[in-house]
Amino acid sequence: MIARIWSLIVKEFIHLRRDWWLPVFMVLGGASELLIVGWATSRPMTNLPLMVFDQDQSSISREVVTALENTTTFSLKEWALDFEDIEEAMDRGSINAALIIPPDFSKEMSSTNGDPALMVILNGAESVAATEALRAVEGVGRELSEQLAIQRLSFLQGSLEAFNPSVRVWFNEALSEALYTTPAELALMLEFTVLIFAALSFARERELGTLEQLLVMPFSTMEIILGKAIPALAIAFTDFVIMLGMIHFAFGVPIRGSLVLVLVLVIGYLCVELGKGLVISVSSKTQHQAFLLVLLIGMTDFMFTGYAAPVESMPQVLQWFANFIPAYHWLRILRGILLKGVGLEVLWPHVLALVILGVVIGYFSLRFVRRALS
Amino acid sequence: MSLRHIWAVTLKELRYIQRDRATLILVIFTPTLLLFMMAYAVTADIKHVPLGVLDLDRSMTSRKFLQQITLGESIDLYGQVNTLDDLEELLLKEAIHIAVVIPPEFERQLLALRGMPLQVIVDGTEPQTGGYALDQILRRAETFATDLLSSQLVAMGVDPDVLEPIDLHVRTWYNPNRKPKVDVIPGLLSMVLGLPGMTVALTLAREHEHGTLEQLLATPIKRAELLLGKMGPYVLSGVANVLVTSLVAMLWFKVPFNGNFLLFLVLSVIFFFALLSMNMLVGVFIKTQAGAMALSFLVVFLPGLFLTGIFFPLVSMPPIVRMEAMFLPGSHYAIITRGSFITGVGLDILWPYAVAMLVFGFLFTGVAAMFFRKKLA
Repeated sequence: MIARIWSLIVKEFIHLRRDWWLPVFMVLGGASELLIVGWATSRPMTNLPLMVFDQDQSSISREVVTALENTTTFSLKEWALDFEDIEEAMDRGSINAALIIPPDFSKEMSSTNGDPALMVILNGAESVAATEALRAVEGVGRELSEQLAIQRLSFLQGSLEAFNPSVRVWFNEALSEALYTTPAELALMLEFTVLIFAALSFARERELGTLEQLLVMPFSTMEIILGKAIPALAIAFTDFVIMLGMIHFAFGVPIRGSLVLVLVLVIGYLCVELGKGLVISVSSKTQHQAFLLVLLIGMTDFMFTGYAAPVESMPQVLQWFANFIPAYHWLRILRGILLKGVGLEVLWPHVLALVILGVVIGYFSLRFVRRALS
Repeated sequence: MSLRHIWAVTLKELRYIQRDRATLILVIFTPTLLLFMMAYAVTADIKHVPLGVLDLDRSMTSRKFLQQITLGESIDLYGQVNTLDDLEELLLKEAIHIAVVIPPEFERQLLALRGMPLQVIVDGTEPQTGGYALDQILRRAETFATDLLSSQLVAMGVDPDVLEPIDLHVRTWYNPNRKPKVDVIPGLLSMVLGLPGMTVALTLAREHEHGTLEQLLATPIKRAELLLGKMGPYVLSGVANVLVTSLVAMLWFKVPFNGNFLLFLVLSVIFFFALLSMNMLVGVFIKTQAGAMALSFLVVFLPGLFLTGIFFPLVSMPPIVRMEAMFLPGSHYAIITRGSFITGVGLDILWPYAVAMLVFGFLFTGVAAMFFRKKLA
């Protein structure tokens, strides 16, 4: 039996030899794409363009601008000469925030009972950037207020700082987005690689009419499936190892838990995704249709990796639905082992869920393939 | 260039798509389906973050403090523990995402106005949730301290307003509560609308694999006409999808549309032309559908998902990546969808993006036609 499976694997690789560049390209291209995407998007939000309408034109008002620039959240884009400048830039979408310093600002700041005011306008058309901008603006406002309060009430000197709580961040000391997002991006690339290779396997044979030839040969369904699955598994596993190395060395994602455990569990996860890919493959009449299904299913799964929003904050129905998504459990396992260094004692519910999903999906793919072959 | 020839190819492609019911359904409904799912998943507000507490003070003040930080929907008290080890275990199990440790001298120090000894521990594995919860707790802790200070100041006969002497007025335009759905849904729209068109890269390879390309070339149809004709069905289904997804965004998700819808429709057609041309260019070099699929996934789909500014603002990306983003039709179209929905701007502001997409469309199709010819010769 092993010899027969081997001959099927060899056949798949002969298919691939004509397109030998395809797996190489998919693996290396995917990994370098991960490098670019991770590098570009997993960083603190910086350089949000800011427009300043300084009606005061004093050294004190410039200090406010400098304080905002020093947060690195903003970069000063231009000075407004009137209010219309701000309106136009906002409409154009060329700025994320505008600061308006009223004419009496420095006067109010210097007098002991003065009531200085600042006005900030945020561009709500980019809500994520606006929220970040609000955080930075409020931080600067608080700091300036505190300094002034200490100046005005000499007895407060120094004691205000003691009211700030001390903060410790565990598992990801710098609260770096990269440690959270790059595993999700890795998962997306990995899943699409598996799905594309698995989905094409049968769809291509059917479309080109070579499925019948496979049928008249003395192979059992199980052998045909394994023959199709093993090459795809080998490609995807290589892909994972390369990408894991990449996020570890390029983005500093730690591997705190057991590397062996990750490598064992990824094979399990890949088998589940392969099963899905085979179901897509045998239920598609053409490669065109298989590709559309891969895009739809892959994108749906991607949401449950928590890339754009954590699964826990999703509506209840989606949270419940997440339990049926292999990628959701896989990400829990991956982040747990890499970032927290936990093992099976904590992760077993997710491993169990993957096993159950694997059995169900495996059963269906076997049935589907059998039906398609008979 | 004859419209009749292009239309003939379009009809042929339409027939291919429509022959199989499932493909037809997928081409028509993929964008709407994905918009539904993603809109719910992506725009979820972070709420009910579980908090663990180690209260070593067990005083009136510490109880009042805990009440204050768990007020509202953002942070929920998961439970109180007795040792630091218990907190650690809860964090490892992801039962809690954030924890506060209140030391025994909490009340004494606070009432003496010597400071607020307090430790906050955040689970950094989910920076979004952790950062949000941390922000909430710090803000509330500050209010708590300020309230205490100002009551002390009132007792001393000083106006408590001096603690916050600068008035900061923040206003947010277009989307006063900074609700993600208002801008993320139009952003998603620009992404999901492009998905069915990804498959256009496969159509040339299909003719290769089936050996029907020679037949096509024996007809009087020119090569550029063939490429344009193959894009036709996806422009048509794209227009239908723009209508349906916009309606879903407006009526179901209640995202207001402030621009000119006719203009939006025209600009969408230009976007489809640019995106389909890009996919066509990818497809021209590849003889198998599998290869075309992999290439268009890597070259068109992935950058279109991550580098068009839907999830992460373009301005914060490194300059080289921003330059790459300029070559993606999706980044121009994302600006157009947001502009049309949220700010309601017109052609006076959107024209550069439309021109850029038109240029890409002609450029990509032109180059594709050129290479197509060379390859066949």
